[in-house]
Amino acid sequence: MKVLDDVKSILETRNVSLSFGGLKAVDNVSLRVGRSKIFGLIGPNGSGKTSLFNLITGIYKPTSGRIIFEGRDITGLQPHQVYRMGIVRSFQYPRVFFKMTLLDNLVFAARGQLGDNPLVAVFMRRRFQRQEMQLVERAVEILEKVGLSEYADRYPNELSGGQLKLLELGRALMAEPKLLLLDEPAAGVSPILVSKIFETVTHFRDVAGLTVFIIEHRLDVVKEYTDWIYMMYRGRLYLSGTPAQVLSDRRLMSVYLAEESIVDEA
Amino acid sequence: MTNIVPFILDGLIVAGYFAILALSLNMEYGYSGLINFGKAAFFALGAYASAMLTTNGYPAFLGVVVAMIVAGLGGLLISIPAIRVKSDYLAIITLVFAETIRVILKNESWIAGGVLGIRGVPPLIDFRNVSYETHLIIQAFIVMTLFTIFALVGWLLTNSPFGRILRAIREDELASSVYGKNNIFAKAVVFGLGSSIAGAAGSFYAQYIGFVSPDLFILAITLQIWIMSILGGPATIMGSFVGALVVISINRGTRLLKDFLNLPLDTNNLMFILTGALLIIVVIFKPTGILKEGRVESVRRR
Repeated sequence: MKVLDDVKSILETRNVSLSFGGLKAVDNVSLRVGRSKIFGLIGPNGSGKTSLFNLITGIYKPTSGRIIFEGRDITGLQPHQVYRMGIVRSFQYPRVFFKMTLLDNLVFAARGQLGDNPLVAVFMRRRFQRQEMQLVERAVEILEKVGLSEYADRYPNELSGGQLKLLELGRALMAEPKLLLLDEPAAGVSPILVSKIFETVTHFRDVAGLTVFIIEHRLDVVKEYTDWIYMMYRGRLYLSGTPAQVLSDRRLMSVYLAEESIVDEA
Repeated sequence: MTNIVPFILDGLIVAGYFAILALSLNMEYGYSGLINFGKAAFFALGAYASAMLTTNGYPAFLGVVVAMIVAGLGGLLISIPAIRVKSDYLAIITLVFAETIRVILKNESWIAGGVLGIRGVPPLIDFRNVSYETHLIIQAFIVMTLFTIFALVGWLLTNSPFGRILRAIREDELASSVYGKNNIFAKAVVFGLGSSIAGAAGSFYAQYIGFVSPDLFILAITLQIWIMSILGGPATIMGSFVGALVVISINRGTRLLKDFLNLPLDTNNLMFILTGALLIIVVIFKPTGILKEGRVESVRRR
């Protein structure tokens, strides 16, 4: 538990559970995410990883348990309130705004926009326009960083699936998060774009002290880029440790093989 | 055909207040994805509020202001429970609200005259003693001024960071809230404002035709506004005017047509046939409407 002892945790879940009727999607999960590290979350399909993300970001409310972010209890906050605390997420299937340009998709995510107030939007345009110019500049920089600058004034329907994931990453970075939750950023993405995504994330960890919590299926990717791994299985926290520890653990293989044999039988 | 000038002016005025109504629907549905099947109710609220006030001796200008407040508050009141959940509920609630309002106004004659409605509503600016044509030109000027003001407000609102929130709500509510936007607040603002603008149109309408009655605010009015919005381009500002002009042109054109052509069918039916056919053609070949949604013009770029 070296990583956890060294640094203060930024996010902590305490005995968090989520039930849908009789099904326990998340079952008594307690984990901690350390500041300025990349944490991985792995586990077979249906093991509750995305549900845990939905709990952290306020999309679902936990049936029981607490979620603590930077020492404050954020259990039961609305998604937009969770965002204000500094938590931003991406989605497994990109949920970008297809009727807005890439630039607008990014600027949308920026914090503290004066023009979000309808009165300012109509009567005090000068006030938000100055801020808007700066935000556009920053958005262009981020688009360059994720390699989408040539599409800045175009619409997301021109992008490939992998580029949409980069757009989601860019939008999330535009929000200047303290904690970034990424839901399978590498799934269905070409190897070149995968390394682009993870190099960007690593860069922001090293430069800006960003904390990242990543759901990822590809164990090779997890092994290369994460500092610590949690593994969930059937709603429970099953394993935790450094990438080397977890990936060489026999129980991990047995779970993945067991799941596969179930699929084979079906 | 001696009275062609008043006929055309009247058409322009009707297109004008329908353009205002379609504009309010564009802000709600076109930009924000809020389905409002009760537009006629907010139109009616504005018309009745204004008519009741001005027939009791209050100035006509005050009628417009109060109409906007009453309709806006009405919009907020019925939308707040519905916008907390999925947009489908708003569609049902507005539809039911519109019918309820109409039936109450019709049957509770102590409120506003029941089926007879309210007569003798004075116009905002009266030029009838000069000549009827002058009066109509002034009315056309009033309605165009109103439309211009609301179109300007609508444009500024939708081409701003707030406008981006509206479009985001229409595209993906969850993503919008995860990125820190208070969707319920934004939806309440746009629905209240849309209802308020519809109220202003209602006030002008009552003052223009001089009376109100419940049968003027039937579901068909709402549907006509929807057709205008979809034809012109829902997520545009000027599309509301284009849509209203096209539908009213067909409406008035078919009425004129019967004087020139000996058609084997009622021109009133021809109007429905033409409007329906045009709607189908637009939806198939230009699904976004005659005008297309532009990008968010929050600042000048390049």
